[in-house]
Amino acid sequence: MSSRAVTNVATAVADDPLASGGAATRRLAPWARRNAYRALSLAVLLGAWWTVTELEVWSELFVPKPTAVWDRFVDGVTVHDGQTGLSGYYLWEHLWASLRRIGLGVGLAIVAGIPLGLLIATVRPVRIVLEPYVNFIRSLPPLAYFSLLIIWFGIGDASKVWLIFLAAFAPVALSVVSGVQGIRRDRVDAALALGASRSQVVRHVTLPSVLPELFTGIRLALGFAWTTIVAAETVDGLPGIGGLAWTTKKFQQTDVAVLCIVVIGITAIAMDAALKALERRTVPWQGRA
Amino acid sequence: MTTAGGAIELHGVGRRFAGRGATVDALAGIDLRIEPGEFVSIVGPSGCGKTTLLQLLAGFLPPTVGTVTVGGAPITGPSPDRGVVFQHPNLFPWKSVRENVALGPRLRGASRAERRAIADRYLDLVGLDGFGDAAPYELSGGMQQRAQIARVLANDPAVLLMDEPFGALDALTRERLQDELLRIWRGSGKTVLFITHSVEEAAYLGTRVLLLSPRPGRIVLDEPVPVPVDGRNAAVRTTPEFTAFRERIAGRIGSDAPPAVTA
Repeated sequence: MSSRAVTNVATAVADDPLASGGAATRRLAPWARRNAYRALSLAVLLGAWWTVTELEVWSELFVPKPTAVWDRFVDGVTVHDGQTGLSGYYLWEHLWASLRRIGLGVGLAIVAGIPLGLLIATVRPVRIVLEPYVNFIRSLPPLAYFSLLIIWFGIGDASKVWLIFLAAFAPVALSVVSGVQGIRRDRVDAALALGASRSQVVRHVTLPSVLPELFTGIRLALGFAWTTIVAAETVDGLPGIGGLAWTTKKFQQTDVAVLCIVVIGITAIAMDAALKALERRTVPWQGRA
Repeated sequence: MTTAGGAIELHGVGRRFAGRGATVDALAGIDLRIEPGEFVSIVGPSGCGKTTLLQLLAGFLPPTVGTVTVGGAPITGPSPDRGVVFQHPNLFPWKSVRENVALGPRLRGASRAERRAIADRYLDLVGLDGFGDAAPYELSGGMQQRAQIARVLANDPAVLLMDEPFGALDALTRERLQDELLRIWRGSGKTVLFITHSVEEAAYLGTRVLLLSPRPGRIVLDEPVPVPVDGRNAAVRTTPEFTAFRERIAGRIGSDAPPAVTA
């Protein structure tokens, strides 16, 4: 990001008082104001970061300079001194490897979580038997069972995908359960009185009714998957953005660690925003009916 | 159009709800026979079990005691023969208005072209032509309620069970929909059970008016409306005959509603 652009936005914001009703309030659209404030806060944060590192308040070993992080980013996307990227892979290869694991884990969690949630919500004996297990797994920290997964599935991708799957399927299943329980009785009655069979009620009423809650569950699951990815990639995690972050502790590469944090954070936010956009398209009635 | 599937009969019907700590008798001792083609208005103060009675007829609830039959066969659950118009529009927001109206035919396997033709015919009938592609929540409350009525009519049920369908509408819209309902019902051969808390609406629409008492709901009045169905229009509402009938029923509500609630 060019620092000049940031400064321009910052000055634009500076003469826009926070108090409403100023001339600038009328000049800027709400979304522009929101983005201007965000850009301003980012500029302040970067400025503070740059200042403390220039003043060497702490050793560079603890707080890397922004420029060092930028240099590692450049290293990550180039061949330099005969080396490819970081730890032998380009940055996008690390990111892609992690995205693939998360995609597989969360994808399987969705495929398994929806029918499981429907079963738990609609078949009483299944609920009585299975719900405690789902809640049990949900409350475990993924690292607690990771060594078991490695022993069972090896150190390859299988154990990583399993770990993410286990972290992600409970929120998906439980969101479906709460979605089904929140279905309006009169909607089911309306379908039945129009002649719907049990399976037609599921198709025309239950599944669409559950969609808003399901989206919330999937967004939660993706969040859990991201928080789990570093744990999943502590063992044989290269290429992988979490694995890369984990290797930094060996050589005290705080600049690479910060780079990984930024990359993971931005990717997670972007995916969540994409899901939100998809939700608005798929569930346009949300909040209106 | 449909010919009705026989008389609706209720014998000694009661319905009790067991809540936490207290049980409520919503209906008790209901004996009733409704002939095919009748338009029966059911009126009564709120909490008198009107909706419970309709839910028994719809098959959403079983009676606690007594029998409910149509054409001699007991009601065991909901059926497309008995269409239900709910108090609130209750359209499926994930379907367009046309898909909502076409749902009944779709559920019984009608072809795409047939479904569309039926839906458009009934949208036209309720004055919603041109709104088929809209989402339900884009329509006003009155239009949504008309779409719901179209959805039920498109399924061509012999019996229409309507639960205060015009209760949430403004007076002007309500009167227009009342006239549309009468127009649709006349000559259709359908049996209509129309629940309302408005005596004036009950008398204007029905061929017969039932009055329910407060909890437990019992039928305390059952009379034919002394105005021919063909002559129902705005002028009827002010004729001495009509107003006298209306006031007599309104008077009975006052006398039959004891203020004390007996547990």
